[in-house]
Amino acid sequence: MTDTLRLSVRRPGPDLAVATLIGDVDLHTAPVLRADALELIETGTPRLILDLAQVDYFDSTGLSVLIGIWHAAREAGGTLVLAAVPGRLTRMLSLTGVDALLPVHATLAEALAYSGGGASG
Amino acid sequence: MTQHASAAGPPAARRRRAEPDDRAERERIAAVRRYDILDTPPDGAFDRVAALAARLLDAPAATVTIVDTDRVRFKAAHGLEGLKGIEEVDRVPGLCASAVRRDGALVIPDTLLDPVAAHHPLVTGELGIRFYAAAPITTGDGHRLGTVNVLDTRPRVITEDDTATLVDLAALVMDQLELRLSALRTLRAEREARERAEKDRASIAAFASTLQRTLLPPALPAVPGLELACHYRTASAHEVGGDFYDVFPLDGERWAFFMGDVCGKGPEAATVTALARHTLRAAARVDPDPVTVLGALNAELLTDVTAGSRYCTTVYGVLEPREKEGFTVTLAAGGHPPAYHLGTDDSGTVSARPVQLQGGMLVGAFRQARFARTVLTLDRGETLFLYTDGLTEARTAEGAMLGDEGLTGFLERRDGIPTASALVEDTITLLASLPDQAGDDVALLALSVPGPTTAPKTGVSATARTTASPEHLGQE
Repeated sequence: MTDTLRLSVRRPGPDLAVATLIGDVDLHTAPVLRADALELIETGTPRLILDLAQVDYFDSTGLSVLIGIWHAAREAGGTLVLAAVPGRLTRMLSLTGVDALLPVHATLAEALAYSGGGASG
Repeated sequence: MTQHASAAGPPAARRRRAEPDDRAERERIAAVRRYDILDTPPDGAFDRVAALAARLLDAPAATVTIVDTDRVRFKAAHGLEGLKGIEEVDRVPGLCASAVRRDGALVIPDTLLDPVAAHHPLVTGELGIRFYAAAPITTGDGHRLGTVNVLDTRPRVITEDDTATLVDLAALVMDQLELRLSALRTLRAEREARERAEKDRASIAAFASTLQRTLLPPALPAVPGLELACHYRTASAHEVGGDFYDVFPLDGERWAFFMGDVCGKGPEAATVTALARHTLRAAARVDPDPVTVLGALNAELLTDVTAGSRYCTTVYGVLEPREKEGFTVTLAAGGHPPAYHLGTDDSGTVSARPVQLQGGMLVGAFRQARFARTVLTLDRGETLFLYTDGLTEARTAEGAMLGDEGLTGFLERRDGIPTASALVEDTITLLASLPDQAGDDVALLALSVPGPTTAPKTGVSATARTTASPEHLGQE
């Protein structure tokens, strides 16, 4: 487990951002995820893909932040999509029924294809 | 003949008897008390000042004295065998008692020539002090606490520089006293702050515990034909937990029950806990259908300004007595770990089946939330077990979470179906055996229909176990 989290961001489309999370998401690092993601949504990229391939640990605090980001993206006319979700989060998303609203893809490539690459809509 | 170094008043003023008879003296004594210097153990700093005074003025003896109401206390004495061991002398005029009443230094070149000092015990006694010079130890607000004194057994005259040195040394003693006082004050303030914090902590814990009790049902009701047992443990006595449950009557025959877990901890979670409990009860009175009730709670939680950020998991059910015995249970859940239905299979083996409710979403997180309902029969001898994730996420000795598999194994590893009370007891024992038993809040609720396959039991019992982590209360 690391005690830091950082988001590596690229923008494959005009309103689409892909944020790769590097580190773990817990009580201490979740605020970083919230702040960075909300900033991306507010600064012209309300369609957001979170790539979790490099995340080993993701707890319920993180889930709470995901729900907040989902609401923010939606209000901004965008979407939140998850890629490469770690096992525990998959179970949490399923148990809480959140996976019904939050599209989850096995890989970033799939998530990008689903999000239509750079095309908006 | 008296040599006055500075701001010398007329000799008559000095010779006035040094009686503490005026307001200034009362304030001076108050200052002496404030610096708390009378009964403190010997201080190396004062000894060094006395030694320094003797050396700098080339005199055989020097002292540091504090003047109390009727005694002169020696805080340090250097030189002259006869001075050793003197802790205090009567406050009689002539030497210290006179010096402490003056602003500047007092210098008496020959005590025998001074009409007042000539009668002082240190002059007339064995020591035979013939020379005396002193500078008052004066506080920032002008109170003279005592003096730094230089003594000799022979008369002598000192220079103005010597007098200035004496005044400086007295100021040094004052600096030392100020430092001590400020250290004492800091210590006192720290001690008071600590005591206050401890008191606050205790009252906050008591408050949280009281609040917690108001958020929980005081006791489970007695439901005819059903045995109920519950358990509640908060992760910390200081935290108002986010787990909740209740069992209450709907109408003549039917009963409702629920259990939930609010996301987060502390006062904010507690407000959601309270809102959830009351909304569930109120909604159940309007329409007890589980999906409708969860929908009502979802809508209610989303009307808040913090919409979407405060949510909970909930499982809610309605119990309807069957014709002969047992209950029909209609259950709905949102985001909550599955309840377990304990029964026996055809071979008589205990089976623990999770009651799956596909698609039930967190309550209060999304307007789009959907909830699913299912119906099951709780037969004679069977038990329904509800819990919060504090149980399944508890860490075992190996460091792994107990998990669904661990819980299923725990529930099935027995010869017969446990009654509600026995199952809750067993689960408390299991939790107590885990190393990380205080990680999260845990709530348990078990409902069983007494019957031949359960252990013999006289009558129906309702037990409520509510504990606010006594082990934590004891430690903190």
